[in-house]
Parts: sequence; C-alpha cells; structure tokens
Amino acid sequence: MTALQVTDVTKSFGGLTALDQVSLELRPGEVHGLIGPNGSGKTTLLNLLSGYYEPTKGDIRLDGEDLSRTRVQHRARLGIARTFQKPRLLGTMTVLDNAMLGAWRDVGSNFLGTALSLGRTRREEREFARRAGELLMGVGLGHAVHRRADLLEHAEQRFLEIARALAMRPKFIMLDEPAGGLTALETEHLGRIIQVMRDAGLGVLLVEHHTDFVFRICDRVTTLDLGKVIKRGTPDEVRKDPEVIRVYLGA
Amino acid sequence: MTNTRSPAGSAGLLAGGVALATLPLWVGDFYQLHLAQLIGVYWILIVGLNLVVGFTGQLSIGHVGLLAIGAYTFAFLAGTHELNPLFAIAIAGVIGGLCGLLLGLPSLRLPGFYFAMTTMAFSLIVTELTLAQDEITGGGIGLAVPGVSAPFDTPDGLYWLILIVGGLVTWLTWNVSRCMWGRSLIAIRDSEITAMAVGISLFRAKLIVFVFSGVTAGVAGALFASLQSYITPDTFVFELGLFFFVCIIIGGRGSILGPFIGTIILTALPELVAPLAKLGNFFYGLTLLAVVLLIPEGLQRLFEVLAEKLRPRRIESHVVTPDLTRLAAAIREGQSS
Repeated sequence: MTALQVTDVTKSFGGLTALDQVSLELRPGEVHGLIGPNGSGKTTLLNLLSGYYEPTKGDIRLDGEDLSRTRVQHRARLGIARTFQKPRLLGTMTVLDNAMLGAWRDVGSNFLGTALSLGRTRREEREFARRAGELLMGVGLGHAVHRRADLLEHAEQRFLEIARALAMRPKFIMLDEPAGGLTALETEHLGRIIQVMRDAGLGVLLVEHHTDFVFRICDRVTTLDLGKVIKRGTPDEVRKDPEVIRVYLGA
Repeated sequence: MTNTRSPAGSAGLLAGGVALATLPLWVGDFYQLHLAQLIGVYWILIVGLNLVVGFTGQLSIGHVGLLAIGAYTFAFLAGTHELNPLFAIAIAGVIGGLCGLLLGLPSLRLPGFYFAMTTMAFSLIVTELTLAQDEITGGGIGLAVPGVSAPFDTPDGLYWLILIVGGLVTWLTWNVSRCMWGRSLIAIRDSEITAMAVGISLFRAKLIVFVFSGVTAGVAGALFASLQSYITPDTFVFELGLFFFVCIIIGGRGSILGPFIGTIILTALPELVAPLAKLGNFFYGLTLLAVVLLIPEGLQRLFEVLAEKLRPRRIESHVVTPDLTRLAAAIREGQSS
C-alpha cells in the first residue's frame, strides 16, 4: 500500500497564509503525530487532506492519483477517514446507527431497492449492523449500543467517532485532538486503540496538544509553527529540537 | 431505526391498521368518511414530503404546487380526454416526479432559507399558470373532475383505493427510514459535514428524495381532484402548502407516526369541533406555536418521553474499556474484505 503524500502545500485565506509549503507523508502501519501551537495550521492541514479545503498550491496524492481538488466524498470512498475536534454525532440516532453510518461507502442498494426492502438491502443491513456492533464492542461501547447518541458522555462520544470512522474500512485515519477532555485512564485506552489500528496496517495521523501522549505512541512527528514545518523526525529528535522547545514545548 | 419495537407498540399498530381497514363499516356518516378520505389524500403527499422535510431537513413549503399539477393532470387526462382514471393517476405521479426533478435541480443546492423561498415561488407560479392556461385548466372557472373507475367508483371504494395507495407509500418510506438511506438522510439534516465525511453525496440524495416526494404529491393530487370532483386555482392556495409543512413539524422530524397523527389532528379537529372551524389558520398557528415552544421535537418525541417516564431506564456512568482483541479482529476483517 502506498503512502498519502502531501507535497509543498500552501493554503491562503485572503491575505493570510495558513499553511506555507508544507510536506508530509502518511504511511500505512505508522502513527504520525502533528503538533504545534494554536493557529499553527494543524486543523487546516487535516481539512485539506479530507477535502473540506482546496490547496492554493501544491498537491495531495494517493497511489499516484492527485486528490487535491477532489470532493470530500471521493476521499472517504478511497478510504481516508477522520474524526473531528468537536465530535460530530447524530444526536437523535442510536449509537449503533451512528457507527453504521460509516458503512455508507459499502452500500450497494439504491433508493428504490431500499424502499421496496429487497433482499439485498436486508442482507446489507444485517452485515453493517454486525460489523458496526463488533467495532463498538472493540472500542468499549458495547454497553451503550442502543442509547441515543446525545445521551453519551464525552469520552463515549470520542470513541464512537472512532468506531464510525473505522466502519468506513479506512486505509488512513486522521484523529483531530482525540484525547481532548479525556481522563488519564481514557487517554491510556485511546493510545491502545491507536496502536491496534497501526498494527492492523492503518496509517494514523494524530493531531494532538497532549505532547507526552504524542511522543509516547507516534512513530514520527511533524511540528508546525505559523503554517511552516519547523521539525520532523522521530519523537526523540523532535522532543530535543531547540526550535520546537522554544516555540511550543517550553523549557 | 434499529430500536426494536415493543409488543405493546406492535399491538397498537395492528389495532390501528384494522381500524383503518374497516373504517367505512363503522364510520358515522358520509361526511366523516369524506374527512377520512381527505386525511388519507393529504397523508399520501405528506408521507413523501416527510422524507424531504422531516428526514433530510429540506424545508419545502411549496408542495401544494406539485399537488395542483397532479390534480390538473388527472382532470385533463381522465376528464377532458377520458383516459382510464387509474392510468391517469399513475401518469399524475410521473408528472409530479418530473416536476419535482425540474424544481429540485436548481433549488436543492441552495441553503435552507433560499430553498424554502424557491419552493414558495414555485407554488405561486403554478397557481398563476393554472389561471392563465385556461384552455387546459378552465382558468378561474375551473374543471369538473370524474370519479375513479370501478371498483373504486363508490365513496367506500375511493376510500379503499386511498387506503391502499397510502399504505403502500407509508411502507416504502418506512423501509427507507430504517435502513442506511434513512441514516444518510438524517445525517444530511443534522450535519452535512458528517454526511460528507462518510461519503454521502448530498445533492444526489436530496434530489432522489425530492423526486420521490414529487411522485407522491402527484398521485395525491389526482386522488384529491377526484375526491373534490371540481377544482379551481383557489383550491390550491399557498396556505395548503404551509399546512402540509406544519403537519410534519408538529408530528416531529425523523418520525413517520408523528406526522401521521399531526395530519389527522390538524385536518380533523377544525372540522369536527365547530368553534375551531371559525378560527381556521389561527388554530394552525396556535398549535404550531405551542409545539415549537413546548415540545420542539414534536408529538413523536412527546410520546417517547412519556414512555421513558413510564419505564425509567437508569443510565449508569461507565468507564469505556476497549476490547482490543475484538477491535483488532474487526479492523482486519474490514481491511481484507
């Protein structure tokens, strides 16, 4: 499997340059950390990768295909999944329904077939429900499968977002501050889940402020400041870099 | 959706179904039967509109235009050209769907407010056109509409036909609502960003559902015309489009039973309770205000909350503990398939 490749990407909003010639490679079976102070462009890069923004310059490639100007939906279908800084769940639906939504890329029955409740639709439903159920058990939400999503606690919402992203059967998964608001124990669990994803061959992009956590579980780390890459390397290299210490980590 | 139906719920549905199927046998008089027919016809339109408004969150207030198109199509084909009425009903559905497509193509990309304005403008234009095209529509004088052919040519027969069509379209939307398509529509309604993130094509899904609502509106229009036996442009006032919309909002978004009850209440109450009839739009306005302020999620949610009160379920706080072996197996299965 080839890498998701960001090459010299620049993104400007009017006169403001949010990202300036940023390159990054997300490889399968690897956890890549993305850190940097507030406003350094981390979420902007995530939005470029998932297609909510279009780069001003540069390109994003997967398997040689230039994705830079393709739709969000196209990238989802190629297997690029993400979670959001503030969980975006559908509050009126159950936890299982929310997780099943991730299986949309595998839906083969059209509207009419669904309306007529053809055998194929029913088979697909059973299969998606089973798959989503397994993932929910896996991330630890087995106790809340039939609960309305708006009744979930914060940590449960974060883990449900991960289950929904995994239901997309992604090759790459991008997590936007997944440890935000979690307790130490929950963060520990999150770390384990991320390692399981990596061991299964997924490429994980982890945007996080919780730097101890990032340095502990990432294979490589990229540091952004004011839209520019100031350091990339192994966690140890990044942690000891004077520039990273100066602008972000502090003494 | 995936929530299992309780035995009490199934029994209630069965009892309701039997009551509806035998209605002509026990209903008091001809007028009440007419009222039941009218509710059924409105419901055939509303059940399709419900997918657009209640599920997908696209606020169409102009479906009365599609109803009028179905009605005039039927009157023109079955009346003026003496086509087989059942065939004419089917054609009215096709024409309704086509008009839905033509209206949806330019408008469904617009943000909510502008979409609502487009549908309103559409219904106003249809009214003007029915006035102007008097060689087809009879203009302001209107058109006489024939009844449906045997075995649906009696009041009871027409009721059965409405019941069959209504039951069919309800079944279709119920199937949609409990499957992946239903989930995707609610995703579009509640978070377009989430919907995009899982790969749902927003415009395509909105358009398909809108065309479906056009078909049911067209069929409803044909039955409506036949029921009224005479139609003029005044039959299809803009307020009727608002009325359909309000039935859904009062019933509750993302539900089928709620809007059904909303349709019954809003159609029947002003007719059966004489003082309310004089109030008319005031009654609708007051009901809407009460629902939006007191139970913004509609009647459906009110029932759910009451049911939860009767059977309280304690929600225990739970530390989320992953089962990593199971998770690894589930992810690997996804990768390999």
